[in-house]
Amino acid sequence: MDFFNYFFLSSIIFSIGFLGIFINRKNIITILMSIELMLLAANINFVGFSNVLDDLYGQIFALFILVVAAAEAAIGLAILIIFFNKSGTISVDFINKLKG
Amino acid sequence: MNIIIFYIISSITVLSCLSVVFSSNPVHSVLFLIFTFFNVAVLFLLSNAEFLAMTLIIVYVGAVAVLFLFVVMMLNINEVLIKEGFLKYFPFGLLLITVFLLELFFVFKDITLKNTVSSKMNITKLLDKGNNNTESIGMFLYTDFFIVFQISGFLLLVAMIGAIVLAKSENPNIKSQKIIYQKSLDKKKVIKLK
Repeated sequence: MDFFNYFFLSSIIFSIGFLGIFINRKNIITILMSIELMLLAANINFVGFSNVLDDLYGQIFALFILVVAAAEAAIGLAILIIFFNKSGTISVDFINKLKG
Repeated sequence: MNIIIFYIISSITVLSCLSVVFSSNPVHSVLFLIFTFFNVAVLFLLSNAEFLAMTLIIVYVGAVAVLFLFVVMMLNINEVLIKEGFLKYFPFGLLLITVFLLELFFVFKDITLKNTVSSKMNITKLLDKGNNNTESIGMFLYTDFFIVFQISGFLLLVAMIGAIVLAKSENPNIKSQKIIYQKSLDKKKVIKLK
C-alpha cells in the first residue's frame, strides 16, 4: 500500500483533533478526547510507515506513544476532577486562577 | 481487495472522529471515541501490526475510554452551555487547520521514501525466520529498547502515584488511615481489659 494513504488519513484525523481543541471552549473533557485523537493520528502514521518501509521500528515506537497517552489521560482526568470539585465548572473560560 | 477495505474503514474512522468533536453530549463523544479506536485497530490489522491492534483495544478501549466514561458520568455537566462560543472560534480553527494541511501538502508533495535503516528489523525477514509479530516485537523490546522500556514503566508508575495523590480528597467525613497518629499510639494504653 502506498504511504500516501496512511499519511492522508492521519493528517485528516490530526486536523479534526486540532479543530476540536478550538471549538469546544466549554468542555475540557472533549478537549482531552481531541488530544487522544491527535495521539492516535501519530500512531497511525508510525504503524503505516512501518508497514510501507517494512521495518519494525515504527511499531515499537507506537507502543511507547500508547504508554504516554495512557499516562496523560490519567493525570489530565485527575486534574479535571479536582478542578471541578473546587470551582463547579469545566469551562475553559473560567480557568483564570493564575491570572495569566 | 485490501485497499478497498482500507478506504471503507478509514472513511468510517474520519466520520466517527467528526462525531467525537461535534457531538453536544459528552457521553456520545466517548462512545464515538471507542468506535474510532475499534476502526483504527482494524486498520492496524490490515497493516500487519497484529500485536499493536490488540494492545490498542486493551489500552484505549479497556482503560482510557472507560476512564473518560466514568469522569463524564461523575461530573454533572450542563448540556446547553457546551456549544457556546462555537461560532466565535470555528472560523479561526478552520483557518489554522487549512494552513497546517497546506504546509503538509507542500512538504510531502514530491517526496520519495527509501528504507535506509539497517535490515535487522525487517518485517518480512523476521516473518521468514518463523517469528510472528508479537515474538519479533518482544525480541527487540526486551533487548535493544530495554532502557526505554524501563523508563516507560517508570513513567506509568509516576502517573499512577500522581493521579492517586491528586484525586485523594481531604474531606473529614471520609474515613482514612492516618499513619503518623497510628504509629504514635501506645499499645498498652489503647487496649483495655475489662
